[in-house]
Amino acid sequence: MKTVTKDVLKSTANKLMFDMSDEQYDQLVEEFDILIKQMNLIGEIEGVDTAEPMTFPFDVTNDYLRDDVATLPENKDEVLRNAADVVDGQIRLPKVVK
Amino acid sequence: MKYMNLSIKEIHNAIIKGEVTPIELVKEAIESCKKDDNNSFEYICEKEAFEKVSHLDPSKKDSLLYGVPVVIKDNYSTKDIPTTGSSNILNGYVPIFSSEVVLRLEKAGAIVVAKATMDELAMGGTGTTGHLGTTYNPWDKSKTHLIGGSSAGSASSVAAGIVPFSIGSDTGDSVRKPASYGGLVGFKPSWGRISRFGLFPFATSLDHVAYFTRNVEDSAIVLNVLAGRDDKDFSSSFKPVEDYTARLNESVKGKKIAVIKEIVESISNVSIKQAFNKNITALINQGAIVEGVSIDIKLLKAIYPTYILISCAESTSNNANLDGVNFGPREPGESFEEIMTNTRTKGFSRLIKRRFVIGGYSLLRENQEELFLRAQKCRRLIVNAFNKIFEKYDAIYCPASPTSAPLIRGSSDTLSDEYLIADNFMAFANMGGFPSITVPLGFDDNLPFGGNLTGKPFDESGVLAIAKTIENLTGLKDLVAKEGE
Repeated sequence: MKTVTKDVLKSTANKLMFDMSDEQYDQLVEEFDILIKQMNLIGEIEGVDTAEPMTFPFDVTNDYLRDDVATLPENKDEVLRNAADVVDGQIRLPKVVK
Repeated sequence: MKYMNLSIKEIHNAIIKGEVTPIELVKEAIESCKKDDNNSFEYICEKEAFEKVSHLDPSKKDSLLYGVPVVIKDNYSTKDIPTTGSSNILNGYVPIFSSEVVLRLEKAGAIVVAKATMDELAMGGTGTTGHLGTTYNPWDKSKTHLIGGSSAGSASSVAAGIVPFSIGSDTGDSVRKPASYGGLVGFKPSWGRISRFGLFPFATSLDHVAYFTRNVEDSAIVLNVLAGRDDKDFSSSFKPVEDYTARLNESVKGKKIAVIKEIVESISNVSIKQAFNKNITALINQGAIVEGVSIDIKLLKAIYPTYILISCAESTSNNANLDGVNFGPREPGESFEEIMTNTRTKGFSRLIKRRFVIGGYSLLRENQEELFLRAQKCRRLIVNAFNKIFEKYDAIYCPASPTSAPLIRGSSDTLSDEYLIADNFMAFANMGGFPSITVPLGFDDNLPFGGNLTGKPFDESGVLAIAKTIENLTGLKDLVAKEGE
């Protein structure tokens, strides 16, 4: 059975670009304990490992392509009004290349 | 005269007869929104609603939704109206376009009067995790019981008689469970039947547009407006739509209905079992063939963990765009990585983060086979088991919840294995994309509970017809939680 440690969970959270409190990681370790046990029970279900993974409820065949009609993009000012830091019609971030 | 307590059809007739105008309806709904004490709303669209209703085209008044107020869950984009998904990470966000659902409602003449509170980003089943706090059950004036979630405010606003119908979303049971706790009809049509364009994605392979009404006929009326192909949503179905009201009065004679024995047996509440059995007897008396069938209990117990793993995994990528850069509040940082990390650390609540970590962990290369892929494989087995039942039966019928609305105190979204079957089985309908409806079934200590009926993909008309008979047999329709009760 997999052992889930606080360090692994912290590293996972950091990869998803956020952090949690120590207490929250502790709580999560306990919850993972239950989840892993449940998943191990699933592993005992006959045929589970040979089943084909199901990614959507049913196959969606979509041969639609929209007509190639030129349209104007959304109004730039409207789009930018949701950004926290805008300068000269562009979203500003700290310097990336240093 | 109060109109928001009435059915959509009754309101429509009142408009046609000239007894009431759409402006008066909006006024009544907005005033009720303002008086709401159940924490149902993120935003009351007072200015926007009066603006829209004053420009309604009278030539469209034959539309049953013409001038009818509606509440929209706050995870549907509404142009020029704040939309937060009840998350601090989207405080102040104002979409520049409207979701297809909202566009279709508005085209039919419905007026959006408010955006509803919800569990944060639709993840959660309690109605307690949104950034505005707990949404209460209007049936319980002591405010000690949940309405349930995630479509909490959408449910409470219809249960309280503020609007005759509302839009929610359903990824595991987020409309059908609160419908049970609120004495409402909650319908999740087939995956692909209603466009999801503009609905904040939570778990793309499980997310469905769903909605609340107070009777089955209204549910069919709303589906007539919402159903149909939308080129903006590639998962939207090309299957032709029907007039979903056409078969409502069809008899259940000869209809084959399966009851999953293990689900009913796992329920201990006597009132629910009695009401369910009474309803089954009544259905049989109407000529329906109702039979108990079995599903491997291991598969039934697997529904919840399978749902959690798939939905959490999909949610991590669906919510990766919430980083404070393009929209939403931004936290300071020395680099863009720091900005994103600080924004997401502060913007997401603890429950959401926990779900993201579950998803992220199950997607790690070393865990994928044992967790995420195994869940997807198990999903196949679960759906196969239910499809096998649908080979012989028209519908599956079970109690929608093992209890009436639970107490708020002690209700946390833990991964406990209590009620693993009866409290979480309805996610099978999301996994298989089946149309699934909750209808009121009875009351336990003055709190309502419902039954859940699920049918074959795209057999919305068949499901609605049986649901209408169930409604006729219970006599429970147009329920509104009244003041002082």
